[in-house]
Amino acid sequence: MTLLQDTLLVALILTSFGMLVSGRLGAYIRMGALQGVMIGLLPLVVGRATPTLHVVFVAAAMIGLKGLVFPYLLFRALRESDTKREMNPFVGHVPSVFFGILALLGSFWMDARLGFPIHSSAALVIPVAFTTIMIGLFLIVTRRTALSQVIGFLVLENGIYAFGLAIVYEVPILLELGVLMDVFVAVFVMGIAIYHINREFDHIDIDRLNTLRG
Amino acid sequence: MNFGWLLPILILVPGLLGVACLFLRSARAVLRLCAIGTLGVAAIAGAVTLHVFRFVPLFAGRSWFMLDALSAYHLAVMMMVFSISALYGVIYFRDEVARGTFTDKQARRYGGLWFGSLAAMVLVLVSNNLGIMWVGIEATTLLTAFLICIHPTAAALEAMWKYLLMCSVGVAVAFMGTLLIAASAQQTSLHGSDALLWTALRDAVHQLDPALLKAGFIFLVIGYGTKAGLAPMHNWLPDAHSQAPSPVSAVFSGFLLNAALYCILRFLPLVEAATGNTGWGRGILIALGLLSIVLAAMFILFQRDIKRLLAYSSVEHVGLIALGVGLGGFGAVAALFHMLSHSLAKTVSFASAGMLGQSYGTHDLRHFQGIVRRVPVWGTSLVIGLLVLIGIAPFSIFLSEFFILKAALSQRAYWTACLLLVGLCVVFISVLRSAIAMAWESDTGVQASHRFKLSHGLLVFIPLAVLLVLGVWMPESFVQILIRASELLGGTP
Repeated sequence: MTLLQDTLLVALILTSFGMLVSGRLGAYIRMGALQGVMIGLLPLVVGRATPTLHVVFVAAAMIGLKGLVFPYLLFRALRESDTKREMNPFVGHVPSVFFGILALLGSFWMDARLGFPIHSSAALVIPVAFTTIMIGLFLIVTRRTALSQVIGFLVLENGIYAFGLAIVYEVPILLELGVLMDVFVAVFVMGIAIYHINREFDHIDIDRLNTLRG
Repeated sequence: MNFGWLLPILILVPGLLGVACLFLRSARAVLRLCAIGTLGVAAIAGAVTLHVFRFVPLFAGRSWFMLDALSAYHLAVMMMVFSISALYGVIYFRDEVARGTFTDKQARRYGGLWFGSLAAMVLVLVSNNLGIMWVGIEATTLLTAFLICIHPTAAALEAMWKYLLMCSVGVAVAFMGTLLIAASAQQTSLHGSDALLWTALRDAVHQLDPALLKAGFIFLVIGYGTKAGLAPMHNWLPDAHSQAPSPVSAVFSGFLLNAALYCILRFLPLVEAATGNTGWGRGILIALGLLSIVLAAMFILFQRDIKRLLAYSSVEHVGLIALGVGLGGFGAVAALFHMLSHSLAKTVSFASAGMLGQSYGTHDLRHFQGIVRRVPVWGTSLVIGLLVLIGIAPFSIFLSEFFILKAALSQRAYWTACLLLVGLCVVFISVLRSAIAMAWESDTGVQASHRFKLSHGLLVFIPLAVLLVLGVWMPESFVQILIRASELLGGTP
């Protein structure tokens, strides 16, 4: 299983880096969907010999939501708006990749220092989760359009989910479903918000929403 | 007889009422249902709360639901805030319904979200499972987001987006904290869903891993602190509170912040007990509390918008509550007392500010002149509300602020006391200056545009009267309730 697991983790990091270099919003959404599917598959291969029914069920719900429903909602929001590209992010693409590399190195260093009490088979999950969380936060802070901020939020959420997977052995199914539902509603609500913002302002550039100060 | 089954009912009833709102025909009917339904839920909540205060904590659903003295006290405050705001909603939207700016469709959405956020906040308070509590907080963020932009103006959308994104990220950080807390229980005998039950964690507190618990608490304070409006994570707050319609602002300031702070308060005794009561967790709350008070005071000094002023005042008061709880013991009792006073005073103030805004067509303080004469009921209540909020003597906030200061002095925390006093004085002077200017400056020639209505008067003056009474005389049973609730926060009173 470790080969499969490592492949998934590497792919997870690559999708995050893909978002750091990409400028087209459509590519963001596709990248996010791909990452969502991988996050959904992760519990099936991490640390357990045979996945229980509960794990399979949550994984299926996760893949369905993050791989199909979210991209559908976000593509719909994108169609409504005239903005197709992430123009001039606050931090350019090359420095963004530099940040990604630093985040990756920092995560391994932090993981080595903190020493979480986890099963050795899941040892790689923690640094990857940290990297994903940091890249998610970075996307939210440095990207200007509402849509890429939503994607950043999803990346952050994916990272936290992977982190939880590694350090908490068994999360009750009701709780997992509750969390999943909250994320679903979050994306849904944000999608509607983008629709309204686009209609009111004719753009979804959050940097230009700056009338409220002080 | 076990009344635990009432706890799920308490979540279900507002949920169903919210759905019912979607099927109502007119805006007036929705607003009326909001008022009656909220009062109905308040009645159930009142009965449950009294039961908990008189007898023992209630449990339900394999201990996933729990109501103890601390959550019951929060529930009581919350239902007061919601009841006043729901009744006020009927008055506030009356003009807008008549002018056609509050359509039936908007009203249905408002009603559904109103009851939805009520249900989510009840869920936060009655969950014993810390994960479900998190689900409740995230649900309040998502449900209340669209309450801000019931009128989708540019400014309201901007405020809504800031609120939605900042609080979602904050709450995601809090989830990471919750996971770390669950991880800290792995060396104990707790397994599966038990590892997130607050009561189970409390009983096994000395076996928890202190390092993971500490790391988790930092994430939780940052995460829930964002939602609670503690500085420096408060940036979304003045925008959201000022752009929302006034009944919603009242609920935001009156209780939404407290609901998030309540989550931090749940984790505080765990961290304190596991780290051997060294005051590590309390120190964090004291620092953030002081920062909130001082930062809010600076912004209040230069504030020109009445609703933003009230929003920054909420940052200050949440800071005061955090500071009081951080000081512990006597300070925690005072903080809980302060919470009740602030929630009532802030609800009344937002309600009055909203009506004045409708009457003057602006929320700019410089245009509010002669408010006591022009809009007698709401003008008077706004002035009194502001005076209560800055801690004028016979009212209860004076008392609780005095107690918090005394708690700081008795622990020889002189710098804390000094900063607290500076912050309070700055707020006192700047708000008093605006209040006097609004109330009496150049009020000659101002005509009364509103006639006195008894129902309006009762709605705002009853809560203010309660604050006055509590300021001069506290019933013994109320003191007992405060002490019992603060004992759950750990430490020795």
